[in-house]
Amino acid sequence: MAQSHLKAVGEILAKHGILVAFILFMIAFALLNPRFINSDNLLGVVRSSAILGVMAIGVTFVVVSGNLDLSVGSMMSFSTIVVLDLHDKLGPLLGIPAMFAMTMALGALIGFLVGYLKLNSLIVTLGMLSAIHGLTLTYSGGKNMDIADKDGTWFGFFGQGELLGVPVPILMFALLAAGLTLVLSKTPFGRKVYAVGGNGVAATFSGIPRARIVFYCYLISSFCVAMAGLIQASRSLGSQNTVGQGLELQVLAAVILGGASLLGGSGTIFKTVIGVLILGFIQNGLLLVGLEFYVQYIVTWVIIILAVWLDIAAKRGQLWSPIA
Amino acid sequence: MNFRKTLVTTTALASFAMVGAAAAADYTIGITQNNVGVDSYQTTYEKAFIAAAEANDKVDAVVLDAGGDVARQIAQMEDLIQQNVDAIIIWPTNGQAVIPAVRKAHNAGIPVIVTNSNIAEEGFDFVRSFSGPDNVTQGARSAEIMCDKFKEMGIENEAQVVQISGQPGYTTAIERAGGFEDRLPEVCPNVTLVETQPGDWNREKSQQVMEAFLVKYDDIDGVYSGDDNMGVGALNAAKAADRAGDIIFVGATNFAVGYEAMGRGEYWGSIYQSPVDDAEAALQTAIDVLDGKDIPFLNYFDTPKITQDNMSEFDKPVF
Repeated sequence: MAQSHLKAVGEILAKHGILVAFILFMIAFALLNPRFINSDNLLGVVRSSAILGVMAIGVTFVVVSGNLDLSVGSMMSFSTIVVLDLHDKLGPLLGIPAMFAMTMALGALIGFLVGYLKLNSLIVTLGMLSAIHGLTLTYSGGKNMDIADKDGTWFGFFGQGELLGVPVPILMFALLAAGLTLVLSKTPFGRKVYAVGGNGVAATFSGIPRARIVFYCYLISSFCVAMAGLIQASRSLGSQNTVGQGLELQVLAAVILGGASLLGGSGTIFKTVIGVLILGFIQNGLLLVGLEFYVQYIVTWVIIILAVWLDIAAKRGQLWSPIA
Repeated sequence: MNFRKTLVTTTALASFAMVGAAAAADYTIGITQNNVGVDSYQTTYEKAFIAAAEANDKVDAVVLDAGGDVARQIAQMEDLIQQNVDAIIIWPTNGQAVIPAVRKAHNAGIPVIVTNSNIAEEGFDFVRSFSGPDNVTQGARSAEIMCDKFKEMGIENEAQVVQISGQPGYTTAIERAGGFEDRLPEVCPNVTLVETQPGDWNREKSQQVMEAFLVKYDDIDGVYSGDDNMGVGALNAAKAADRAGDIIFVGATNFAVGYEAMGRGEYWGSIYQSPVDDAEAALQTAIDVLDGKDIPFLNYFDTPKITQDNMSEFDKPVF
């Protein structure tokens, strides 16, 4: 009896190694500075992680389908700048959908190149990373974009507002995570995403339209980026052209940390969310502990590698690889 | 980005072609900029430089942009040497890597003026003059602005300050932080700087850093940020936590957002650094060198203090 309990615990550990790692880090930080678990701080970190999180949810689809997306950082800068500009030119009611359309057009372009033309996703999105950055700069003329009348607009709702005591970015993050979890795990489309990423050739022979699935994954990713841009723009009501720069690597780190395979075919939204929270809480925790910031860069990555190791060790049931 | 750069370069080449046709001016001055378009400051700088050169009959300008790329900047230096311009102004993409190119120009008898951010000290022998802001003084002046305000409020003996610095490793960030940290204890010996964290010149990052500071410290009286862009990020965080009213915000490089926040009474002060002054000072330094005037090696242009009290004397920054 006791043994079967142990076995059950072991199975949970193996399945959710990253969750265990997450809880361990939270306890460690809370011991180092009790203010870390202050509810304001916890909510604050989740709120500021929401931007990264929303993007990571979209990229999870792309990664599960066996591709990469390095363009999401530039694309987020683009959508932020565009929505701020259109806010003053068209008003938020028209500006927000227009920005979603423009951002998703970029996603459709990438989806077309990777899905239908079968170009390597690393090269395509690496190219788009700098092409979209150029597009943003051309659009704005290099200037910071700011909403003129910051007090007279309701646009701040998405980034600063609260609904039922919960910050709106967290609600958007949670709703998107729940909705896309259903799509990825419960719909035929979701199963096809796993099939295409797991074994593309087999998927094709099974009659799955591989190109179309990949195309939709990039479309979903760009939708999420547009949402992240909306939160970002609404949070500060103004932005630099480089606001999303470098986020693509953090997003990928969160997705991979959550256990998605770079080769495609595995990964879940829930685990990606855990990956995002780990990154967010590490950054916040190190700040609260008050570590010298040069050291923070090093410690951040030591913790991430530890987390990945814990995850893998739990999966195979031992710390070292049996095959050296 | 490449499209835009090409456009800029092509325009620059076209204007150079026009220089040859007109040939009325006394001096041809070439400039290779760091990365036009990456931020509003550099974009405004370029426009102001071109305007100042056009307004001056003595000068024809060859305006190039390195796009943040060291290799391209070195190639542009060599182009300018080939074209045998009378003087070269360089906004270094990297303080170390451009030194050989600067030396080459110097050896070819072309005076080199460094603008905005200086090159590393090993290269000083090959540079005629540096024209730009004095970042150490800027940091010191920010400390004075903050201290004066604390004295006015009567909290100069207990105030606690946090600092949000620019990108680690950047000269401007290091110099401003150094100026602030050295001057603050001289003017307000009892004010404590409790912590410094980098905001990487990024508003969003600074907002996150400030959120953590607000959780960590119950008592924050002042925030010094390496530029107003970061300062406004910190202000946003404090406003969200309902603590902005208790905190004095001081920045540097007054941005339009900082100027507006000062107008609303939320942000106390900054350092007024105009890209227009920066560009005009660089061109004037080059002209003075060519005129044979005696100019100092470190030719700083003035960057005055700006606070809510005297902001009406300044135009709102265009960036």
